Amino acid sequence: MNEKSSLNAALAAATCALLGTSAPASAADDAPQRWSFDTSLLYYGESDDRVKDISAAISAQRDFDDDRQLSLNLTADTLTGASASGATSLDRAQTFTSPSGKATYSTPAGEVPLDDTFKDTRFALSGSWTQPLARLYTVSGGLGFSTEYDYTHMGANASLARDFNKRNTTLSFSVAYSQDDIKPVGGAPIPLSQMLDVGDLRNKRNDASKDVLDLLLGFTQVLGRNTVLRVNYSYSDSSGYLNDPYKLLSVVDPATGDTMTRVAAGGQGPNGIYRYEKRPDSRTKQGIYAEMKHAFGAPVLQLSYRFMTDDWGIDSNTLETRLRWPLGADNFIEPQLRYYTQSEADFYRSSLVAGQPLPEYASADFRLGKFDAVTLGVKFGHRTAAGNEWSTRLEYYQQSGDIPGDQVIGRQAAREQYPDLSAVIVQFGYRFGL
Amino acid sequence: MGGSDAISLTREPDYWIGRFVAMACPCEVLIDSTTEALARAVVDCVSECAWRIERKFSRYRQDNVVHRINTSNGQPTLVDDETARLLDFSATLTALSEGRFDITSGILRKAWTFDGGTHVPAQADIDALLDRVGWHKVQWNRPALQLQPGMQIDFGGIGKEYAVDAAARLADGAVPGLGCVVNFGGDVAVVNERRDRQPWKIGIESADRTGTVTQIVPLTRGALATSGDSRRFVLHAGRRYSHILDARTGWPVEDAPRTITVAADTCTQAGTLTTLAMLNGARAESFLEDSGAKYWLQ
Repeated sequence: MNEKSSLNAALAAATCALLGTSAPASAADDAPQRWSFDTSLLYYGESDDRVKDISAAISAQRDFDDDRQLSLNLTADTLTGASASGATSLDRAQTFTSPSGKATYSTPAGEVPLDDTFKDTRFALSGSWTQPLARLYTVSGGLGFSTEYDYTHMGANASLARDFNKRNTTLSFSVAYSQDDIKPVGGAPIPLSQMLDVGDLRNKRNDASKDVLDLLLGFTQVLGRNTVLRVNYSYSDSSGYLNDPYKLLSVVDPATGDTMTRVAAGGQGPNGIYRYEKRPDSRTKQGIYAEMKHAFGAPVLQLSYRFMTDDWGIDSNTLETRLRWPLGADNFIEPQLRYYTQSEADFYRSSLVAGQPLPEYASADFRLGKFDAVTLGVKFGHRTAAGNEWSTRLEYYQQSGDIPGDQVIGRQAAREQYPDLSAVIVQFGYRFGL
Repeated sequence: MGGSDAISLTREPDYWIGRFVAMACPCEVLIDSTTEALARAVVDCVSECAWRIERKFSRYRQDNVVHRINTSNGQPTLVDDETARLLDFSATLTALSEGRFDITSGILRKAWTFDGGTHVPAQADIDALLDRVGWHKVQWNRPALQLQPGMQIDFGGIGKEYAVDAAARLADGAVPGLGCVVNFGGDVAVVNERRDRQPWKIGIESADRTGTVTQIVPLTRGALATSGDSRRFVLHAGRRYSHILDARTGWPVEDAPRTITVAADTCTQAGTLTTLAMLNGARAESFLEDSGAKYWLQ
């Protein structure tokens, strides 16, 4: 070792003499050691006054000697607005007990019932450390934590990557585990129990939790100077409380399809029969993702496809393309198009039928239904003279879904059962270094 | 050779790329986004530097210092400061490699033909040439160099890497602080960081020059050098001999990796490490491992 370091010193001195330069600082001394920051502000707004989200994020990275890197992320989110509760629309006004069990809210005739007590603020903090391990390996580990008033998430992850084939091929394996504690407002409803009057908390439990294990096997291949291919296989196993505690199903008349009526004691409670959803207590998802990036001289085209399947019966396909087009030396524009389609979960049903035995599982959450979505977006970026970059992204999202024909009963056919959803996303980002 | 018509300057997404040919290889300069005039100024000074060093140190020309030395027939030759620095550096490499590297070993190529075939010269022919090889037989009293009659020198082993570093310094002098990359046939130096601090992605052409397999190395600073060429070898008695000759024996190094790429502070250091590693033959990898340098083998 001493012999070699004297070789390095002799070589460095000889090189300096040859090049007529002063002795260079050693590599360790002048390696880049500085912070770089990525900040963004995002607005997400659904049409018809549904969910709105404003999110601010800052991530900081610091590079150390020998390709070691520390990364920290902080995100704050504010969600407001209303989301579809899962109950069907009716020709009469509907009254529901709010999740807290302390009040009621109503939906006018002909409208899709929304739970408008939806409001939340979330903070998330995560950090990770990455460093080389031996010559061709890179290892990283991280921790994450997030909290909102009814939800706490804690997670840990680790990954190992190895370069092959002159570093043109990288294989990586990562594992992540998280534990989430859910404390729904007013308690977690007993699945498939009926919505009760204000103040009646017999069907509420305290809190719940779930565990999620994620595994990812990644393969990256450089296919020449201008093309990179990435393929991932992912496996995810969730277990525990997987219900959405605020989602409902209407119990409907088998002939008319209208929600069965109910008279609330003292008028303080639901005026129809509604039950809370019930999902299985485990879910296994598998996915394949392939992405190809190719530079056509100046412009860069990115194409990606994702297939996901799970044991709830949801299969989804996502196709996305982006084209980054330079405008002069310091600007670029990047149009984006994404198409998403999914099938519904085996236990998805728009309503429960009165008089029939309760199914083992049931949910009317539109997110578990069959739908297609198209996203159209464009990003514009500018690089400043100091090398910092700001960007603006604008996206339009349009989703339309279907209820299986055999689930549409009686007069339901005349009403909107799966309302279309559109949303606008605006994001500003600024990346800078210190 | 030379002249601005021999240089092409084209625009890439966020940098300029200037191309020309020097020292029998494709050369390029990548220049972080700036005006065309500044990009051209950088390419002009880099190409001028490459062509100047080629003219001055090519062993195929008859109007330069190497030719004067090689035809001195035992008489001393006075050399300029730049040549003297190259000679000093070569002498250091000879010492560091315990005689394996030697700028007087070029005449051994009269015996060896590295064409992928199996022809091996007679030991007597090698021995005859070895009489005229060896830095210890040379009188070097700066600025006077005196070879024995019949001896020759050849800066082929270090000239290109030196040219990369020299051109990189000139580029920084031409437009101080501007980020660029000087790449002479796979020997690369980064001059200043890019404005966005993203690494340059350096493509190293594969040793067999098929152009189909390349190696992408992200580089924010420092230099890279590559040694080896998988078409230039000899197969003999079941062994593969690289085109790198051990000046002590006159025989090529056995079982060396086909290609070695090393990252270091300067291209000269990187190139020297690839050469010294090659000269270690089958022990090249452990040599590199011990040196602490970042390296890629093929």
